[in-house]
This record gives sequence, C-alpha cells and structure tokens, in this order.
Amino acid sequence: MREESTILSVGIDIGTSTTQVIFSRLTFKNSAGYFAVPHIEIADKNVVYKSDIYMTPLKDRVMIDGEKVRAIVAGEFLKAGFAPGDTQTGAVIITGESARKENSEIVLKELSDFAGEFVVSTAGPDLESIIAGKGSGAAAYSKERQCTVVNLDIGGGTTNAVLFDCGEVIAKGCLDIGGRLIRVDQDMKVTYVSDSVRRIADHEGLDIRPGMEADYQTVESICRKMAELLGDWLEHKDSPLLDSIVTPGSSPFDFDKPIRAVCFSGGVADCLYVHKEGPWNPYGDIGVVLGDAIRQSRLWSEYRVVDAKETIRATVVGAGSYTTSVSGSTIAYDRDVFPLKNIPVLKLTVREQEHCFADDREWFREKLRWMLEQSDSEQLIVAMKGKQNPSYTELRRMAACLSGVLDETLPPGVPLIIVLEYDMAKALGQVMTRMLKGKRDVICVDSIQVDQNDFVDMGKPLVDGLVIPVVVKTLIFG
Amino acid sequence: MTQMDDMINAIVERVAMELSKGASAPKESAQSPESPAPFDINRVAKKDLSGGNTAGTIRETAGDGDLVDITSPEEKHKPTLSHCEDPEGLERMMRSTPARIGVGNCGARLRTQTMLTLRADHAAARDAVFKDVDPSVLDRLGLFTIETKCSDKNQFLTRPDLGRQFDDSVISELKSKCVMNPDVQIYASDGLSSTAITANLENILPVIMDALKAKGLKVGTPFFVRNGRVAAMDQISEALGATVTCALIGERPGLATAESMSAYIAYKATVGMPEARRTVVSNIHSGGIPAVEAGAYIADVIEMMLEAKASGVDLKK
Repeated sequence: MREESTILSVGIDIGTSTTQVIFSRLTFKNSAGYFAVPHIEIADKNVVYKSDIYMTPLKDRVMIDGEKVRAIVAGEFLKAGFAPGDTQTGAVIITGESARKENSEIVLKELSDFAGEFVVSTAGPDLESIIAGKGSGAAAYSKERQCTVVNLDIGGGTTNAVLFDCGEVIAKGCLDIGGRLIRVDQDMKVTYVSDSVRRIADHEGLDIRPGMEADYQTVESICRKMAELLGDWLEHKDSPLLDSIVTPGSSPFDFDKPIRAVCFSGGVADCLYVHKEGPWNPYGDIGVVLGDAIRQSRLWSEYRVVDAKETIRATVVGAGSYTTSVSGSTIAYDRDVFPLKNIPVLKLTVREQEHCFADDREWFREKLRWMLEQSDSEQLIVAMKGKQNPSYTELRRMAACLSGVLDETLPPGVPLIIVLEYDMAKALGQVMTRMLKGKRDVICVDSIQVDQNDFVDMGKPLVDGLVIPVVVKTLIFG
Repeated sequence: MTQMDDMINAIVERVAMELSKGASAPKESAQSPESPAPFDINRVAKKDLSGGNTAGTIRETAGDGDLVDITSPEEKHKPTLSHCEDPEGLERMMRSTPARIGVGNCGARLRTQTMLTLRADHAAARDAVFKDVDPSVLDRLGLFTIETKCSDKNQFLTRPDLGRQFDDSVISELKSKCVMNPDVQIYASDGLSSTAITANLENILPVIMDALKAKGLKVGTPFFVRNGRVAAMDQISEALGATVTCALIGERPGLATAESMSAYIAYKATVGMPEARRTVVSNIHSGGIPAVEAGAYIADVIEMMLEAKASGVDLKK
C-alpha cells in the first residue's frame, strides 16, 4: 500500500505589469496512525522552480499578446526541465487590468497544450487578494496562530487586502495604491501619474503632473499619505478621499474583528521589510519611497508584522500551490472517470438538505430542473453540508432521493456527483451505487466546501485511489 | 466569595427549605408536580456553578428543561477561565480538543464546575463498563446473545482470559443458530463499553451487512457476545469456519467519550494467532469517524482482505 503521492503543479500569473511561472510539488500523505481510518492531507507544498519575472506582453493597453505569453511559458517549461503533460494540476491566473474575458479566452487557446488540465481563471480584485494572501503565508500564519492576519499585497497599481481569521477569509478589498502609480524617467521627469495619485495630491495641496521635474519631497509626502490611507482603511476611518481610491469592482473591506497582525507582499514589499540603499527611484517609480513610508507608518509600529514567505511572487505561488485541495479519505467512486472539468455546483442550504434527508423528491426535482435551466452544462454537482453523525435510516432516505431524482433528470450517461462537507461520502456513495444497480456512475466526495456558482475540477485519484485532488474555482470574468 | 462557598450556601439553603417543607406539608402534596423536586447534585442550575455574585440561588422549579447537561459538548466548550485575553480564540481551541483546557483554577485546585464535570465524565465511563447493552437495540437488529465463560462483570474485569473463551454448550448453540462457513462473520460485543454498542451498532452493522451482500459475499448470521474480549473472535472464527471475522466491540472508555467503538477484523482467525494479524478500525463515534462512514470503510477493508487473503500487518505490507 502506498502511503504517499506527489503531483506537479504549475502556477502562471499574468498581471497588468508582470508575468511569472512557478512549479511546485504537492505531496499527499496519510497522516493517520496505523489503527485509524486513513487521513490524507497535502503534507508538503514545495516550490521547485521559479521563473524570471517578465513584463507582460500586451498588444495594446489591455489585450494580452497570446503568442508571446505562450513563448514565455514554453521557455520556462524548457528551463525548468518539464514537458507539457508532466503537470497534473495548477492554475493560470489573469489579474489586474488584464483580467477580462477576451484575455482569458486568448490564454486558454494559447496555453491549452501546456495547460490542458489546468484551471484558467481571470481573477477579479477579490480573488487576487485571496490568492496573494495564501501565497505570502499570511493564511497559514493565521491558521497556525489562530488569529486575524491581514495581508496587503502592494503591487504596481493596486493594494489587495485580505483578512484571514484562523485561516478563513473574512474580508477582502482593493485600493488604487501601488508602486508604479507615479513613473519617472532617467532625467527625473514625471512620465505618468494615476488618477488616484492626482486625488491624493489635490487633497494634500501638492502639485505633480507628467512633464514636471520629480521632486523627492512631493513624492515622499504622497507616499506618506498613501501609508496613512492604508492605515485608515484597516481601522475603518472612512473619508471621501479613501472612498475615491477604492478599486472599481472590489468588495468593501468590511469586518468587525480587531486585526492582530499584518503581512506585506507584492513588489513593494521587497522595498518595505528592509530599506533599499541607493537612489530613491531605481525602478523609475515610487516603490522604494512607498515601502519606506509604510515602514515608518503606524502599519509597522502598531501591528505585529509577519514576515512574508513570498513577496513579489505571492500571487503566482498562491496560484500554483494553494488552488488544489484534497477530498476526504473515505469517498466513493465507481470507476476512474477523472479528470472532470468545470462542473457547476448546485448548493443546498442546511434547511434545503433536510428535504433530501426526508426523501422529498418533488421538491428536489423542481430545484434540479431550475438549476439545469440556469446553467448550460449537462453535468452538475449537488453539494451540501451533510450531517455529522447521520443514522443509517436518514442516509438511505437521502440516497434514495438523490439517486432517484438525479437519475431521471440528468441526461443519460452523466455521472451523479455529490460533494459534502461532513465525513459521510463513502457511506452515501455505496448506498447510491446499490440503488442505481450500475445504471450510472456515482461519485461521492466529502470534506470539500463549495458554494453556489462555483465550478469544480476533479483530478485523477491519488494515494492508491483513496483521495482525489479537487480545485474549486469561482470564475469571474471582467 | 469563592465558588465553593456559593455551592455550599446553595446546598445548605436548599436542604433547609426541603426540611421545613417536609415538616409542614403532607407527603402527597410534597411530591406533586408544582412543588420543587428533591435536591439532586446533578440538577444544580448552571449559573450557580459558574461563579458570579448571585449568591448561589437554586432554581425553584428544577425541571430537566431548565438544567444544563454539564457533560454536553456545548457546555464543555464554554471557557470558565476568567480574564482571558482572547475569549473567542480560547473557545475555538476548546472546540478543537476534548482536553480540559481553558478551565481556569481556584487557587491550587480545580474549579467546582471542572471537578463536577470530571466526576460526571468518570461516572459515564464507569457506567459504560458496568452497564449492559440496551436490549431494545439488540432486539431491533434481531441479534441473539451468547456469553463468554465470565459469569458477571466483576469476573469479566478480573479474568481477561475467560472473556476470550466459550463453554462447549455455547459453541454448539452458536453452530446451530448460525450459517456455517461464511465469507464474512460479523458480530458485536460489549467489551469495555456497552454504551458504545448502544450508541453505534444500529448505524454500523446494517451498513456493513448490506454493503457486503451487495458485493455478492456470503455474510454470516450476526449475534451479540456478552462479556467479550477482542480475542473471543478467534474461537468464533474457528467454530463457524469464517474466512473473515469482524468484531464490533466497545473500547475502554476515557474521560473524553464513553461511546468509542472499534472493529477488529482478521482473515482466518485462529486461537493463539499473533495480534499483528488483526486489522483495527478505531475511534468510531459521533466525534470521531461517524458509524455509517466507518461501516462503509470496513466493508471495503473486508473486501480487500478477501482479495489479499491477509489481514493486519500482512495486509499493510
């Protein structure tokens, strides 16, 4: 019996300014003792290769140059020594201003032979915040220490914030504050000033416009104000200025718990944890000054500061290492029909699942018809919380309801897929299989949390077929 | 004022009240539903134990509905530690473990409530060992009962060897009532926790039986063994000629749960075989692996054993 499996995961982050690739090995291991039911978890996430950081090739201001992206990715596979097909899971994340449906289609088309099995998703500001917070290590810190940690991913154009409480996301948001919002050329002339910087400058009575001489005092004052605004944002000190620089499309950064620690990632974090010696604008922008301003602000002095595991690579590491999760270790599936891709979810609430436990088929039939009309997909996942310790009677009623109704409603040949949170999938799956007498495949997994509107990928079974890797994604097209 | 003082005052007050009532009122009316129930240490209202300044008042109408079960998970997860830095964090930690953390102290000793909970849990553990399995559970499952050579619980506890053996008459009764030479023989036994069997058996035995029958296996007649140790399965296996024998048995209760059950499963078990030939699925209870899920898993393990013709360490190789 094999107690361990390893899979190779690739993460590709195509952002407004940079494109990066990483490869990581995910190790699945049985952590349960000899006398217990197996418990497989992802024991290790080891980044084995990090690419150079490329400028994202663009055709115009927002459209990605698909062929050039393909060349970058192909080059990195070669340098890393992996062939397309070596990777079993992973994610391509398109972030920032590149996050549009057209770009997602271009990337999908160009990368399909590398990325046949990956997730391609365009991350809205919210998803980007979460992925960066996982990649930076903030989520793990929050889980280990059982506390609230905010991760501020300060990039070129935006600051993505996510607040974790015991490893769970409780708030996310995005501000137009970043290191490349003022750009300066070699002759110290200002070449670009963003709308958000203009608003901050107006508010402070400062003058900075393209074509002007870049004055350190002015830049420093603006960066100090940016740091102050970030502090205000974490402390709910609303102001018209703060409201005016919230990134369009981001969630309101609302929460009602005190923040216990702060973690910084993104390009600016590299100039933040330690002061960079030398001229103030080595990159032709304000990243170094903004980093210094934050280190001198109350964000640094009044919160516990967590060392980020990844800074500029937080998003790509998040995409490569933290998008795959593992099912419960006692699950049921009749045959290896995996991988399954992009299956929409019908989520039943705790109250709604009672209809299934009571074998109320009429109700469930209606709900299912509605869902099939809503989504174009022929396949779907029925997801619910389940029960902590169901009785066999309840279990049989539920199996009868699910298998009966799903079998008559779904198109022929489509497997019945059930996703639960509580540990009861093997029991439910076995009963359903018996009731269907081989008419259809049954796939029943647990320990996975999904929501309505999510899409789920299920990979090939691992560790002697005990578990399957699962990717839950929320597709957000800009 | 310490909590112990609160408690003592409450008890004294209550006993005094009972005594005065008993003296003045006729017996019938004292037992009528309107009058307060006799004092019972297990029926002390929660607020009297948790400290605070309400000088230990006992609820006048102490019906079960008004009282909290101090051994319930909800109550056990309420911190009694005062002045805690992060109450929410503490509660979360307490929910993640059955260990008695976050309980605080009273000088060098445990608080009254911690002490009472501990004693209540200990009582549940003793009950699990000394009580018998609820006969209605066995009736509903249609199980007949056989006994080992132990005549009572005391002998069962002091003579482990007798808990593994059966009289010849019992063996012939078993042979007459059971299907012989089954692929799989499943039976239940009280072991050291009857409570575990009462709590889990109905949700696990039919799951395993149904799953094995669906695999086309010949499943033996299930029954119940009173005062049985794990290795009693060896003599049963030999007597019935079972290929695989699976014993569902109550585990020695701890202070965390008295409901934990295990399944010991062996391929061609024989008397005197090494313990390493047993496969164990442990921790079956509502806070561990749920009974139905464990049943589904056990059915797969048994199928695997029949294919590999091995069990225990030999199966894991």
